[in-house]
Amino acid sequence: MTTPPSDTIIRLDGIEKSFGGAKALSGVSLAIERGTVHGLVGQNGAGKSTLIKLLAGLHQPDAGTIEIDGQRLTHITPHAVESLGIHFIHQDRLLVPTFTVGEALFLGREPRIAGTPFLDRRQMQRRAREVLQRYFGLSLPNSALIADLSTAEKQIVQITRALLDQPKVLVFDEPTAALVKREADLLFQLIRRLREDGITVIYISHYLQEIEALCDRVTVLRNGRDVATKALSETSASEIAGLMVNREIGDLFPVREKAPGEPLLTVDRLSAPGRYHDVSLTLHRGEVLGLIGLLGSGAKEFLRTLFGLETAASGTVTVQGQAPWQASPVQAARRRLALVPEDRRRHGVALDLSVKENTTLASLSRFTRLGLIDRTAEESETDRLITRLQVKTEGREALLRTLSGGNQQKVAIAKWLSRQSDIYLLDEPTVGVDIAAKVEIYALIAELAEKGAGVIVLSSDLNELIGLTDRILIFFRGEILRTVTSETATVDALLADVTGSSELTRHAG
Amino acid sequence: MLAETAFVTPATPYHPGEEAAVPARSQIGLHAAKLGLQGGAFAVFALVLLIFALSSPIFLSPFNLGNILAQSAISGVLAIGLTVVIIAGGGNVVTGGIDLSLAANMGLSAAVYASLSQAGQPDAVAAGAALATGLVIGAVNAVAVTRFAIVPLLATLAVMNIVGGLELVLTQNTVIPAVTPLLETLSGAGPLGVPVLAYGLIGFALVTALAVQATPLGLRIQAVGSFPEAARASGLAVNRFVAGSFLFSGLSGGLAGIFSAAYLSGSTTGAGELLLPVVVTALLGPVFSRRLVPSITGTLLSALFVGVLINGFQLLNLSSTLVSGIQGLLILLVVSATTLLKRKEG
Repeated sequence: MTTPPSDTIIRLDGIEKSFGGAKALSGVSLAIERGTVHGLVGQNGAGKSTLIKLLAGLHQPDAGTIEIDGQRLTHITPHAVESLGIHFIHQDRLLVPTFTVGEALFLGREPRIAGTPFLDRRQMQRRAREVLQRYFGLSLPNSALIADLSTAEKQIVQITRALLDQPKVLVFDEPTAALVKREADLLFQLIRRLREDGITVIYISHYLQEIEALCDRVTVLRNGRDVATKALSETSASEIAGLMVNREIGDLFPVREKAPGEPLLTVDRLSAPGRYHDVSLTLHRGEVLGLIGLLGSGAKEFLRTLFGLETAASGTVTVQGQAPWQASPVQAARRRLALVPEDRRRHGVALDLSVKENTTLASLSRFTRLGLIDRTAEESETDRLITRLQVKTEGREALLRTLSGGNQQKVAIAKWLSRQSDIYLLDEPTVGVDIAAKVEIYALIAELAEKGAGVIVLSSDLNELIGLTDRILIFFRGEILRTVTSETATVDALLADVTGSSELTRHAG
Repeated sequence: MLAETAFVTPATPYHPGEEAAVPARSQIGLHAAKLGLQGGAFAVFALVLLIFALSSPIFLSPFNLGNILAQSAISGVLAIGLTVVIIAGGGNVVTGGIDLSLAANMGLSAAVYASLSQAGQPDAVAAGAALATGLVIGAVNAVAVTRFAIVPLLATLAVMNIVGGLELVLTQNTVIPAVTPLLETLSGAGPLGVPVLAYGLIGFALVTALAVQATPLGLRIQAVGSFPEAARASGLAVNRFVAGSFLFSGLSGGLAGIFSAAYLSGSTTGAGELLLPVVVTALLGPVFSRRLVPSITGTLLSALFVGVLINGFQLLNLSSTLVSGIQGLLILLVVSATTLLKRKEG
């Protein structure tokens, strides 16, 4: 902390990167000072993960330079980056589950019994005990396997692995995503200790209070640009939140006649212990409802329950006055519900089928005449959706594999749109698509509602929710904290509610 | 305070107590199941020994025990080669490491050895050629799997048929007798009256076990097989280890070929019949290991177990068709038990 401010260890300058026509980074510059904890924040799609992958050597930038310790890197490989002392603590803990702690720590640089080709297991155990005790005050039994450890312990083992290489920089990518409070606190203590030891830390997180508590400086990314770098002593969580949010995209959203009709879907006191509790709502024809909540708030689980992907313990779901049912995806589809899942590449599309096949797969009965597929109808519907969603593809027969991620996503949405359902459940419909595609998707959602469908959108993009929906239900710790009218909602108030830093939750607690 | 908690710990469960209790309970069940599988395996082994000892007076005679070891030597060496492939390729039954060409490899290597001996070549040349044959087959597998990215199951199935065909071409589907000093030594009795082949098996197992279970190389092979992403993140060249494992299994095929020539005094047809016992032995190996993972010592024990079964059934005059039925049953049992356990572990 006594190092002069000019001592820059990593300097990124004018970094640009596109994927399949969609610009992920459009000119990011960043200077990270030695011995500091530097936060990196931004909403989904702001470019955080792309930036980190560039730094890790997993992608090459289209333009711009990366300098490490004053040395300009021309071709960045993971190996080159690591040999310069930059190590990454990834979200997914890359440790062999059947190994002991010692084996996992020393894999790739195993100590041998002097003068023999044999592993020195005793030394591995002793040194593993030593370093875990020294760095983290953690003592694990020698026989403990990685699979037996808690998530936090695994993370500690992985950090320790990196520390054995005497790194100069450690990059943490959303490290608390799977930790509980006590474990996260431990991690923060640890990061402060690393800083005292002179290690530079880059800390990426969604959670502003973590940034506030931990970082010396923070850089805010928005739409692929670095919009500000601030010293934490001169800023606040609310200012950072303001910087994260793009305030100039109001006209992205279509103006829509908001005249909700008859009730379409009624949820009455739906509960699933440990996930969500007593959730009730009514979705009307022509209405777009927004759901928002952090990971673990129950919002996503609730949405998945509506489509029958998870089961509730009590409560009822009624569609258009029909008998309530314990949903299964088949029954949900029969009741004209459609779900566009978030992980579209895994659950939503078949990469080895064509655009056309993917589009009509879920609604083949519509295109079937006398048991045969009506190709003309199928093709014209596909062409219509390709144009409608502006899918960038060589044509309807192109394999989905050849499309960019954002365009694959559009096809996944098209697939469910062509079903012509009554109720659409959209899970993060615009994650990973570029801004032009977002506008198309928004227009489409508005069109669905205007034609009398009911839409529920789960999104972590606050602007999107406010611009797109009629009402927003805020999930916090398994309950609906409150319902707000979108017209009067503000990003700041939503953010405060979602993260639990609003007055209301403080009183409630 | 509450607000801060929520911010810092996004994944705080809604009811922490309940969330924690469920995995804990299933964890205990999982441990019990694992212990049961291991303990069960040893108990079954002991029980089988006991039944055979009681029902056949000669079962426990030193001669018969030596015979079991000698009989197990060929399939044991092959199973150890296969185990290394499984360790490096991962235990997934469909996409993981497997070498189906091993039995055919042994057949061709034995035929090469016998043909060269009959053609008057000295032992060193014949044995060297047998080992080289095995190594080449391993290299073909390695290239198919790592260079052309064919799943081992299919790649080695294809190679198995090619090798089987080559053996037919070489031997014209006949028995080629071979009597050489090397074969006589191998098929004879060694110290303590135990067959030399048995020493061969134990020696081979010991060297491989040390390499796989006690050296950095072995640790890396295990990492490559059980979590290739982690191995890659540790800077290991995953494909090289996989290729190396096929070279090794090829070499074990060559060695088993020499053993087989010794045991049968030449090369005979029908090497392919050994495939099932070899696969059974390798798949059964994990239940004889501490962490329920493939290991060389586990495979050695399992080879002896399968050897005892076959020998015992012979002593009891049970038909050999019954033996292969039981082997098939064992595959189904062990694979489904370990697969279920793995799925529970997530």
